[in-house]
Amino acid sequence: MTKPIRRILAYVDGTEQSVTAAQYAIVLAKSLGAELFALYVVNTRALSELVKAHIFLDSEQEEYHRDLDEDAERYLNHVRNLARSKGVAVTAERSSGAVHQEILAKVREHGIDLLVLGEVSQIRSRRDELYNETERAMRSVACSVLIAKNEDRIAELFEELV
Amino acid sequence: MALIDLIREDVVRVPLAANTKEGIIRELVQTLAAAGKVSDSEAASRAVLDREAKGSTGLEEGVAVPHGKTLAVQSLAVAVGVAPRGVDFEALDGKPSSLFFLILAPPDQSGPHIEALAEIARLCRSKAFCRTLVSSRDAKEVVELFQD
Repeated sequence: MTKPIRRILAYVDGTEQSVTAAQYAIVLAKSLGAELFALYVVNTRALSELVKAHIFLDSEQEEYHRDLDEDAERYLNHVRNLARSKGVAVTAERSSGAVHQEILAKVREHGIDLLVLGEVSQIRSRRDELYNETERAMRSVACSVLIAKNEDRIAELFEELV
Repeated sequence: MALIDLIREDVVRVPLAANTKEGIIRELVQTLAAAGKVSDSEAASRAVLDREAKGSTGLEEGVAVPHGKTLAVQSLAVAVGVAPRGVDFEALDGKPSSLFFLILAPPDQSGPHIEALAEIARLCRSKAFCRTLVSSRDAKEVVELFQD
């Protein structure tokens, strides 16, 4: 029988929830013998929108772009270190653009079977504007999606992994 | 953490008591401090006031989005305030501002910070929604409008 999950993608956005998702993805990759990918998207679409909306100054856009580049490096390194500590190989990548579209593109590019995300909002609003990027990706991606919940349990599983 | 999860009654002020730009910022920071989300109100207020000194975040249609990066918060924090009579926030269109979204983020969490601001920018495109928020009578109504 073909393995149901061969390639896993963890989306990391700098939130604690996304780091928990990355830990769970590492546990799954090791347990299932799956290939692991991690992605951070520098949200340049939002930066442009904020300048257009006059919420950001031009200088602020540049400053935050640098911050996001640094965040990308920091969080992807963190995931690399987490994976290495458990003997799991990970392909950690950074891209830029609109977050949910970049996630969709990476899922297609790498033939991802399972996308692992941090927790989405517990509140369901009728307002589409309030769907954040994680929720947009969850709704629009073509592969199966796993929402990592119960941070304590995932931390235990991660610690137990040898 | 999605924006909607951050907007709870204890971070909403309706109506705001202050009637100056600096007063509004300090009142909203104090609201976050009272909710246990800000460890140093003065540092957080200073971060936002310094950002405002570079250019007002008072937009058109009575909305203002003061924001700043500060170590006084451990994670993204948002406060919402309503000043029905309007306050001069040096807005782009010169009109008084009535609806305030104050955002504080630690320096190493720019991703969530930017995403929250972008969500607010999208929301503020709905003039009807903003008008309804401004006519809210209390914090409970504001939260209900977001969760509607």
